[in-house]
Amino acid sequence: MSRAPRKTVIAPWRFYLVVIALLALPTLLVGRVLSLQVLDTDRGRSFLQNQGDLRSVRNAEIPAYRGVISDRRGEPLAVSTPVISLWTDPAILAGVEDLSALAGALETTPSALRERLDNYAGKRFIYLQRHLVPVAARDILALRIPGVYGKREYRRFYPAGEVVGQLVGFTNTDGAGITGLELAYDEWLKGVPGQKQYIKDLHGDAVRDIGVLEPARPGKDLRLSIDLRLQYLHHQELQRAMALTGASAGTIVTLDSHTGEVLAMVNHPVYNPNSRRGITPAQTRNRAMTDMYEPGSTMKAFTLVAALESGRYSTETLIDTSPGRIRVGRKVFPDPRDYGEITVSRIIEKSSQVGVTRIALDLGHQPILDVFARFGIGSMLATGFPGESAGLLPNRERWSDVEKATLAFGYGLTATPLQLAHAYSAFANDGILQPVSLLATGQPGTDGTRIISGDLAAQVLTVLQRVTEEHGTARKAQVPGYHVGGKTGTVHKVGPGGYQDNKYIALFAGIAPIEDPRFVTVVIINEPQGEAYGGGAAAAPVFSRVAQGTLRLLNVPPEVPAPAELTVAAPASHTSGAIPRAEVSG
Amino acid sequence: MISLRERLPMDPTLLLLGLALMAVGLVAISSASVEYGTFHHDNGWYHTQRHLFYLVVSLAVATGAYFVPAQFWLATGWFWLLGGVALLVLVLLPGVGKDVNGSQRWLPLGPFTLQASEFAKFTVLIYLAGYLVRHGDELRSRWQGFAKPMAVLLLVSVLLMAEPDFGATVILVVTAFGMLFLAGVKLTSFLGVMSLSVAGLVALVFAAPYRVARLTAYTDPWADPYGSGFQLIQSLIAFGRGEWVGVGLGNSIQKLFYLPEAHTDFVFSIWAEETGFLGAMLVIGLFVALIGRILWVARQAQIVGDEFGANLCFGVALVFSGQAFVNIGVSSGLLPTKGLTLPFVSYGGSSLIVCCTMLALVLRIERDLCVAPSRKAAAPANKKRARA
Repeated sequence: MSRAPRKTVIAPWRFYLVVIALLALPTLLVGRVLSLQVLDTDRGRSFLQNQGDLRSVRNAEIPAYRGVISDRRGEPLAVSTPVISLWTDPAILAGVEDLSALAGALETTPSALRERLDNYAGKRFIYLQRHLVPVAARDILALRIPGVYGKREYRRFYPAGEVVGQLVGFTNTDGAGITGLELAYDEWLKGVPGQKQYIKDLHGDAVRDIGVLEPARPGKDLRLSIDLRLQYLHHQELQRAMALTGASAGTIVTLDSHTGEVLAMVNHPVYNPNSRRGITPAQTRNRAMTDMYEPGSTMKAFTLVAALESGRYSTETLIDTSPGRIRVGRKVFPDPRDYGEITVSRIIEKSSQVGVTRIALDLGHQPILDVFARFGIGSMLATGFPGESAGLLPNRERWSDVEKATLAFGYGLTATPLQLAHAYSAFANDGILQPVSLLATGQPGTDGTRIISGDLAAQVLTVLQRVTEEHGTARKAQVPGYHVGGKTGTVHKVGPGGYQDNKYIALFAGIAPIEDPRFVTVVIINEPQGEAYGGGAAAAPVFSRVAQGTLRLLNVPPEVPAPAELTVAAPASHTSGAIPRAEVSG
Repeated sequence: MISLRERLPMDPTLLLLGLALMAVGLVAISSASVEYGTFHHDNGWYHTQRHLFYLVVSLAVATGAYFVPAQFWLATGWFWLLGGVALLVLVLLPGVGKDVNGSQRWLPLGPFTLQASEFAKFTVLIYLAGYLVRHGDELRSRWQGFAKPMAVLLLVSVLLMAEPDFGATVILVVTAFGMLFLAGVKLTSFLGVMSLSVAGLVALVFAAPYRVARLTAYTDPWADPYGSGFQLIQSLIAFGRGEWVGVGLGNSIQKLFYLPEAHTDFVFSIWAEETGFLGAMLVIGLFVALIGRILWVARQAQIVGDEFGANLCFGVALVFSGQAFVNIGVSSGLLPTKGLTLPFVSYGGSSLIVCCTMLALVLRIERDLCVAPSRKAAAPANKKRARA
């Protein structure tokens, strides 16, 4: 507090100079900030924003939802559910001191995790765990371990499991179909992944979405022709037959005879598509379409067609089959006993080798081959199913009598179970062959081909019905309350040394109901054990049970409403768990 | 205004400007540190809570300082200088000072740290303001009067550079020169010493390679975008994103760890990103108004003959201007990267306590001008005489 004001005389220009100098500072700042934020100068706003986006804006793929595969009634067979896959940047995660929390969450040990990181030391991306349920994945992500990220994906689930496993097939972990219809219709099902933009922080974590550049286009749904209820029924009956016969493998396929749609298709052995560890091709193979069998006596129905078409035979033409065996070249084909002089119809009913051989030698091989080929044997069904076989019709220059005869009863050619069912469907559809469809069409296709006359088809049906009646080989194929028809087959399996004496394949191709056919079912039992190895003993009973359930599920009214039937049928339907017929028919 | 003025024993303009800057600082720090706090401390409000605590402490200290009469500071100038130099020596002792990023600038105090240079700056200010009063005549007439404060300045500068704290050195030297100039030092010796000092500063820059690296990084950060230019580029991007009105409070992208420790020295960049050019102008405007008001108080004090008050106010105005200019200049790429806080705004207790205390001293000086009616009455006369 100096008293003398004289001392304080300081020239005021110094003060104003300093004020002016200080005013220059904010002016410089304002100019600088203006050029950065507002004026669009070189290396100004837009350049900086662009540089910022390069550092923080990333594109990500939006996974496309794969289409649902369902049965004809809409029951899901293959659905995609959202899951989260955890991945890591090993370069970042390796720098984390304590991996015990992460290892615990991944159900491994810190040392095992560390070893894995060392193995992938040069990489910037490895999966830690695929396809976690979102809740579990979010718990792990909440640990906020540097370098651990989540990725949205879809995982395929198969609600029906093993029941339709071979037909539907499955996808790999990346969601691409690799077998079955998943593979065949992959393009249709898979959809197109979209792209979105998001902002990440320096640590790589997504902070917020900016927007969708291109929306994901979901895959299209696929509705199959099969009916899951029928599929379950077939599956159950096939498993039961496997247990009863001790067979190693088997197939049942049922075809809608009017539309050509496959209503059910089951195989044994099976696998669970939801848990595929340790599965073998034997389990995943859809035998109904990929495996070729010699159809054996089931082909006699087509030999019958050739005979009737020749005009030299009717179903009632008498043929002498005495003495119960016939020598062709150096081979002797026996019947179980001497049937004597019997009609052509009875030859089929009894599956007489002698009778068929006589007819075949009379007709020659060419008409028979023509008929087989017309019914689709030896040509692809063109379902597009991966690994579908065409079967084989022999094509040779010179035919010996033995070859002519064996062709007529189904040896020396091969067909898939579905081809056999398809061929039989022409009988059931008034002589018109519909193309096979694995997808639901719901109505007869317009591109069916008439291959035999309706009259001829009706004659064959009559004979096939007799096969299941009192003189026939397939009495066990009968279905209470209905009339059915069909043809048995029993073939020796081919082994390393030719046909094997003690290994058989039992077949049955059946049609129900015979008056107004709805479906064709082919049953193949591979290597039934014990005495009941033949088509009539091993395969026909399976057809009976399958057809009974199928008729019920298709709401086909019984054709034999006799009260006597009620007492016979009721106990049988109780044992199979079906609704007592009295209620259905009443 | 009159009623507020009567109820409040201090200048409301200064007070409100200071509080406004502190409020902006609190908001900016809260927004800039939320991700950082969550990541490092599992608490998004970690830095906000600590800064609130610093604010309370600072306001308490400032209130205390406000009740200390200017005469006390004038009388104890030497004592403060010794204390400041002691702190600067202490921080350099191995085991005492805390080394952060290669600079030994902090004294650990329990859960907090004290930045020695902030307090040293304050003590030099007090000492110099007093010295200019005591040795005013000597200063204006003889070069020896000028040499003594220069020696003190040199000592403090050497200690600061040993940390090293180049930014604080520059601020201190510039402030000291400004105060000497305003106190009427002889122009010839002033210009001579100033040119010497500038030469010394330039020499310091080129003596340490990292300073050269920082200089080149600032002139063209894009030459090494992931090395020396990284931080500045992230800061510039923050400005660029802001445009006129900003991306909105809380929406900054650069604070997502792109701009390292965005709540400390670069908090202005995040503020500019979130509130845009208008927000940046608000802060610059507040500083211009605050410093203008302090200069006005200084001029009033000068006119009524309160030399100590005038010197102190000039010093405070120069420190605030220097720090604000360097901080904003650095974050906008106008100046080479220096670790200087933005007064009242940046996160950090030491800076906040010192800034609030300085403002309290200015408020006290201003009040003493008002309550001395005789001086106030004399003021117009003085003014006329000075212009004459």
